[in-house]
Amino acid sequence: MKQILVVDDEIHICELYQSELEDEGYAVTLAHSGKEALDAVERNPPDLIVLDIQMPGMDGIETLEKILGKDKGIPVILNTAYSHYKEDFTTWGADSYVVKSSDTSKLKEEVKRLLGE
Amino acid sequence: MSLKNHMKNTLCILMAGGKGERLYPLTKASAKPSVRFGGIYRIVDFTLSNCLNSDIRRIYVLTQYRSLSLDRHVRLGWSVFNHELGEFIECVPPQQRNVDRWYRGTADSIYQNIYILQRERPERVLILSGDHVYKMNYNDMLAFHMESNAELTVAGVEVPRSEATAFGVIGCDDRYRITTWEEKPANPKPVPGKDDVSFVSMGVYIFNTDALVKSVIADAKSSSSAHDFGKDVVPGMLRSYRVFVHNFKEANNEAGRYWRDIGTLDAYWAANMDFCSDNPQCNLYDETWPIRTYQVQVPPAKVVTRDRPVQVAEGPEGIHDSVISGGCVVAGALVRRSVLSHNVRIDEGATVEESVLLDGVHVGAGARVRRAILDQDVAVPAGFTIGHDPETDRSRFSISPGGVVIVPRGINLA
Repeated sequence: MKQILVVDDEIHICELYQSELEDEGYAVTLAHSGKEALDAVERNPPDLIVLDIQMPGMDGIETLEKILGKDKGIPVILNTAYSHYKEDFTTWGADSYVVKSSDTSKLKEEVKRLLGE
Repeated sequence: MSLKNHMKNTLCILMAGGKGERLYPLTKASAKPSVRFGGIYRIVDFTLSNCLNSDIRRIYVLTQYRSLSLDRHVRLGWSVFNHELGEFIECVPPQQRNVDRWYRGTADSIYQNIYILQRERPERVLILSGDHVYKMNYNDMLAFHMESNAELTVAGVEVPRSEATAFGVIGCDDRYRITTWEEKPANPKPVPGKDDVSFVSMGVYIFNTDALVKSVIADAKSSSSAHDFGKDVVPGMLRSYRVFVHNFKEANNEAGRYWRDIGTLDAYWAANMDFCSDNPQCNLYDETWPIRTYQVQVPPAKVVTRDRPVQVAEGPEGIHDSVISGGCVVAGALVRRSVLSHNVRIDEGATVEESVLLDGVHVGAGARVRRAILDQDVAVPAGFTIGHDPETDRSRFSISPGGVVIVPRGINLA
């Protein structure tokens, strides 16, 4: 079973994604900060990461850079309420960029695509 | 939009983070771009002068190893930009912002500084290196880049095929779109219609910023890459990007093609010797293309002759075909085809031929020096011989593959 790490400081978003992605047949683990995410990647590298940008402390962009620096080749989907980050060069290391919405079909589509399913 | 405005939207990044190992021991104490060259200059002055003469006013210098002398040189010699007008030259050491490592290669040095590109948001980036000697108006290359609707333009220069084996050899179609790229090939492809020359990359690139960012990110993610522009990034872009070669012509000299990569001690020595000829290809005296540097305060150069000329083994005293910097005193000695940096002293009866003497070198009375590079503050004792007896030289010094004797700083010859 493919394992997905969802990183978001908002608990209800984590819960929404967890239930939606588990319905699709993935195992989902959660992290609520950039630091927790990096620990999770180190301890138990997932097959894919869904990463929020605006988080207190280490934000998603810095977390993304640190994840890329580990050279593990894990695909990352940046998932944020704001579309302007898409133009920011420092986000271009992500494999996909999905704007947050109550409709998770686009997110699920990108997860499938990046996992080669 | 005018070319001037296009250049305003172009950010310059000068990569100066290499170790310069092939120029050791000249790079023992300083980064290669700040190695003394041509008497009063540092190697990087030629590239920075190209920028200044091409109206480029926003420059980041990416430094890494042994950067103190380069930082200082840029600060003392190149703080000529006006920050209030949006102009700057800044040295940037590795920030380790997104990774915990030094630069893995030229492409990685840009990858690690993507945040600079985000902060500046230029439309294009001109990427240069600090170890080449040439005079180039980057506006010509930018105009070509715009006309060709290129995403990446690489400057190329025609060199004899036998020399092309050390470089990235470019193959292109009749509109100069690059079709092939071979890094250091054993058998370089000739330029169509010219069997004896090949097109080689000068290490000068204009990238559209989005193409640059995408390419260096893809490169950073590749585990098989050496993270080098010439080896990895540019060849990898040929398929999916519009990559062109700009045929280099010298600034102010339509027929000139002078470009030297100061990659080795032999190349360093030879490029210094080039300045000694009567009419050098790289003219330092062209007032319309000044080469700027920082100079310390030194007294004028002085030549002392005796009432009765001193005879040395190689002929009568005198200075022939040489570059003599301020502060030098040549007293009753023979100097031929040599480059003397500041404050060199050559005493009576000494001979210096085909040599490069860096700042503060002292050649004692009756000493004989030939085909040598004497690093800063080397003191050659009276009567000492360098470059005349290969066996003795080999036991004392290192000798370049081309046979130039290298005398490092700090050596005690007494």
